[in-house]
Order: sequence, then structure tokens, then C-alpha cells
Amino acid sequence: MTQLKELLSTLEHVAKHPAQVINKCLEDKRLMIGCTPEYCPEEIVYAAGMLPVGLWGGATSIRNANQYFPAFACSLVQTTLELGMRGVYDQLAGVIIPAHCDHLKCFGQDWKVAVPQVRFIPLAHPINRKLEAAVEYLKSEYSRIKSVLEEIGGKPISHQDLSEAIEVYNLHRKTLREFTLIARDYCTTITPSVRHNVIKSGYFMDKLEHTQLVNSLIGELKKAPPEEWKGQKVVLTGIMAEPKEILDMFEEYGLAVAADDLAQESRQFRTDVPEGKDPLERLARHWSCMEGCSLLYDPQKNRRFMLKTMAEESRADGVVACIMKFCEMEEFDYPIYKKTLEEAEIPLLYLELDLATPSLEQVRTRIQSFAEMISLKP
Amino acid sequence: MITAGVDIGSTSSKVVVLEDGKKILSKVIIPVGAGSSGPARAFEQSIREVNLSREDIKRVIATGYGRTHFPGADQQITEITCHARGVYELLPGVRTIIDIGGQDAKAIRVGQGGIVSNFIMNDKCAAGTGRFLEVMSRILEINIEDLADLAALAENPASISNTCTVFAESEVISQLSGGTSREDVAAGIVNSVVGRVAGLVKRLGVQSEVVMTGGVCLNWMIIRMMEKELAIPVMASPMAQLTGALGAALFAFESAR
Ligand code: SF4
Repeated sequence: MTQLKELLSTLEHVAKHPAQVINKCLEDKRLMIGCTPEYCPEEIVYAAGMLPVGLWGGATSIRNANQYFPAFACSLVQTTLELGMRGVYDQLAGVIIPAHCDHLKCFGQDWKVAVPQVRFIPLAHPINRKLEAAVEYLKSEYSRIKSVLEEIGGKPISHQDLSEAIEVYNLHRKTLREFTLIARDYCTTITPSVRHNVIKSGYFMDKLEHTQLVNSLIGELKKAPPEEWKGQKVVLTGIMAEPKEILDMFEEYGLAVAADDLAQESRQFRTDVPEGKDPLERLARHWSCMEGCSLLYDPQKNRRFMLKTMAEESRADGVVACIMKFCEMEEFDYPIYKKTLEEAEIPLLYLELDLATPSLEQVRTRIQSFAEMISLKP
Repeated sequence: MITAGVDIGSTSSKVVVLEDGKKILSKVIIPVGAGSSGPARAFEQSIREVNLSREDIKRVIATGYGRTHFPGADQQITEITCHARGVYELLPGVRTIIDIGGQDAKAIRVGQGGIVSNFIMNDKCAAGTGRFLEVMSRILEINIEDLADLAALAENPASISNTCTVFAESEVISQLSGGTSREDVAAGIVNSVVGRVAGLVKRLGVQSEVVMTGGVCLNWMIIRMMEKELAIPVMASPMAQLTGALGAALFAFESAR
């Protein structure tokens, strides 16, 4: 039990105080590369011997970034740029910014001028991702990023480095998948915010070390029998479930997380990098293999069926759509899966979230009403 | 057994004191809400009127925007759940509730046994809320209660934006200074709120019977326009802004039993 508490507190500490981990990295003279949402080839950074650090914005008010962004840019890009402009990321040797959506496209361009001290490494994924030409194109993008990282690090990145990094990452993915499965049987210990912190801490740690800690956590959890849960369980979908207060509200109103379909959480680790000979090609093919995210071109919109299956298999009482305010990508998908879930009589809550100016009282009313609704459901 | 429901809205505080989940002993409305002395005063008054003290009340449930800050409550339940419960008691055939509050609007689907089966909330902007009507009435220099009667005299209702209160405010001022009659502007204001809220209800799906709750349902013009917009009869809750407090008092009775 003590061991379990220690593990949870270590992971929570990392999730809440990434600066301390980063300072340690600086002491060790290990270079760090920022990886912004939603999908970056972290394995290449890792293969270069550097630490990939996830930059997913934060709860801060906007004072500088509005010089570059209109008010209707999502708070994920706005707060990340704001923190960059305030010098919070000055220790990074570079930042990879993909261009999944219109906001991210502007974000990369803005970063170049607004945060010139941290090198901007652009990345454009192919949209029509199932074509062989898309794999070839993305491989060339990754190859360019590899060259930039070689230049920054002053040493070449070998095939073996890349293959080893992929193994480390696939093992990490497998471990987090196992954790999310186990977590649903221990809802009292693994509260929504604990679950989030366990996953989030991985953005600031060496993946090997994080894998070990999460593995130990799984071992400790399994020592006790599954916990009885008297409240309700929900599936979270969307980009991310922050600001953190909302997860505390879930807990307050007796909602546990049965499974998630969040870009910051399970979408990162539910699909392994496929096998193959050429590591860069494997990484590029990964993009073609992933499914069920608003940022992945999917003319069949299979996400709706994935969500329905996820809710049914995890025996969730409902689904909560955590929609980042002004995120068109998620907004486009919403009516499609809403219809499917409604047909399956799975309750759905639309929760609009904003990292910079959260109106938490309204969010509270929504969460509490939803919790009351599903708990009273005949 | 005596129970009470305290509904603390953004602009008013409402209390219903109930005996055995059936008989209303007292009901009080004080026109100041969350963050003011209103909730405490309304509660005090409601029990004083029937010569009771706090100890006589078996259970108190707070609801509404200020529900989490009412120290006298045994439990908090949201206004969404409480309005559904209150309406079910008064009008059991209702499937759709439209609640226009001081600073938000809600469309609620009532399922079996008065339990909420879905809801949509609009809280992005004061447009489509009681606050909007209040601001506009002030510009027209009338009491909010007189807005419906003024709007009824309109010949050519003005067109007023329903996306933003601030823009609508300057629109109203320029319409008035451009010579549009106060009656036409008043009708435009009512239309604006109805258009915005009807959109919310349509998103939820209109199902008969439809009722409006909250203080705004006292505005008969809004009810009439809403009926037109939704093409379905719309009733006003017999307990108007007290519906949520009634629901809370009923929940208090059911949970204390
Ligand atoms: S949250 Fe949505 S809008 Fe913002 S960066 Fe991600 S995909 Fe783009």
C-alpha cells in the first residue's frame, strides 16, 4: 500500500511539476525537444538521445499570444504560445509543431517570430494517409526532422537508434494500455485525476523510466482485489480533459473514467508502430494505421463505432465529449458520433473546455446534472 | 415531515417549504440571487411565515447557480434535475422543458418518472437569457414585466441580433435613435430571445408537451412567440420561477423518507 501511494505521488509530482524533471535533464546535459499536440514522432527525438517533452498548454491567462492569434483560436495553441513567449520553454533545444488543423498551421508560423529563441521544427502530415505515397511522403518529412535533430545534437542517428527507440515506445504504449484496463477496476484509488496524472507524467519523463514506474504501479494495484465502485463510469472523448478542476468535479460527483478516447491520452498509445525493416518507414506507416481521431482523415467516420464499442465494452454509463473551445476538428465529428450514441441510448455530455478562461461553475452544473441524470436513469 | 428547496439563481432566490412532499406551506421569492443576502433572507422568511425554525425542517436541498454556497443545505442538486422533478409533479405529461434563467438558458428532456434524459445548456453569452431582457428593458426605460405588453402593440417588429448582447444593445440604441417605435423594438427583443432559445430546443428535439419555467415564462409574449417558432403549444409552469425550488423540496422529501 505504501509502495502504491509512493508510486502515485511520484507520478503526480512529475505531472504537476514538470520543471523539476526538466532541470534534472539540464543537469545531466541531455537536450530536450518540445513536442506540441497532437502527434509528433517522439521516437526520432528519443533516438537522438534527447528527451521529448510534451507541450499541451496550461492554465494561464493570455497577455502576449493575442498579438498573434485571434480570440477564436483554441486555448491549447494560445496558452502554449503564451508560455513560449514568456520564456517558459527557453531550455528546449527545439520544438516540433505539426500542422493538423488551421490553428496549428498558424501556431508554427507564429512560433517562428514570437519565440525565435527556441528553434521551430515544422511537420506536415499527409491528409490522405492510407496511400503508399503518403507513407513515402511522411517518411521524407521524418527524414528531414531526423537531419535537424542530428544537426542540433551534433551526432548522427542510426537505424539501430531508431529501432531501439521504437521498441521503447511500443513497450510504453503496451504498458499504458494495460494500465488503463486495470484502472477501471480500481476506481476508488485511480480517480479521474490520478488516472490523468499517471498518463500525463509520461510527457515529461524518459519513456523507459515511465514504463517501469507504471509497470510497478500495475503490479501494486493487482495485489489488492478489484475495488467495488458505487458511482457511475464514463468514457472521455476529445482532445484533452483539462483544466484539472474538471476531473476533480468528476470525482466529486461520483464519476469514474471507464476508458478514454482523448488525444492526450489513449489515442497516443492505442496503436503500436508496426513491424518492418526501415524504422523511419515504420514510423510513417504508424500514421496510416491509427484510427478514430478527429485529426485523422477518415471518410467512413469510424470513430462513432469505436466510441460506441468502447462505451459498451467498458460498461460505461455515458460518454463525455471534452471539446476544446474553438476546436473545429472535434466539433465536426461531434454530431456524427452523437447520432450513433443516441441511437444506442448511450447518454452523452458536451463539455466545452477552455484552458485560458475556464468558466468552471457552468461546467460544474453540466457535470453534476449529467451525473444526476445517469445515476437516476431507470 | 417538512422539507425545503432553495433555488439560488443568478438574479433571484426562491424557496418552497413542503409538508409530507405534498402540501406547500410557504413559497418566497427575493429578487437578488447568488452571492447576496437573498438566499438566506428568502429561507428565513419562508420558515418564519409558517412559524418554523431550521430544526423543524428535516432536509434542505439547494439548487440553482449558487447551490454550492448555501450553508444551510443538506445536499445540492442542479437546477436541471430539480426543474424536471418540479415539472413532473405539476404537469406529468411534459417531455420538454425550456428554462430561461438569469444568465443561461436550458432545454431539458424529461424521461420516465420525471428523470432528465437529456439536456442542453447555453451559457456562452447573455443573448437568449433573462439578463438580455433586463438590459434591453432598461434601454427602453420600462420594467421587465411590462415588456410583453409593449411588444404586443408592435406593428413591424424590428430585427435584432441574437448572437451577442453587446451588439444587440447598440443595435437597439441605434434603432431607437433612427426612429423605430419602442413597441417594434420591444417585439424585436422578444423575437431575439425566442429565436436563440428555440434553436437550443430544436437541437434537443421538440417533443410534446412543452413547458416553460423560470421568471421569463411570466412574459406571455415570449410564450406565444415560442409556440409560433416551435409550431407546438407551449405552457407556462404554474409555479414559474418556483418550479426548481419545488423540485428540490420534493427531492428532499424523497431522500429523507
Ligand atoms: S485542440 Fe483542436 S484546434 Fe486546438 S490544436 Fe488541437 S486540433 Fe487544433
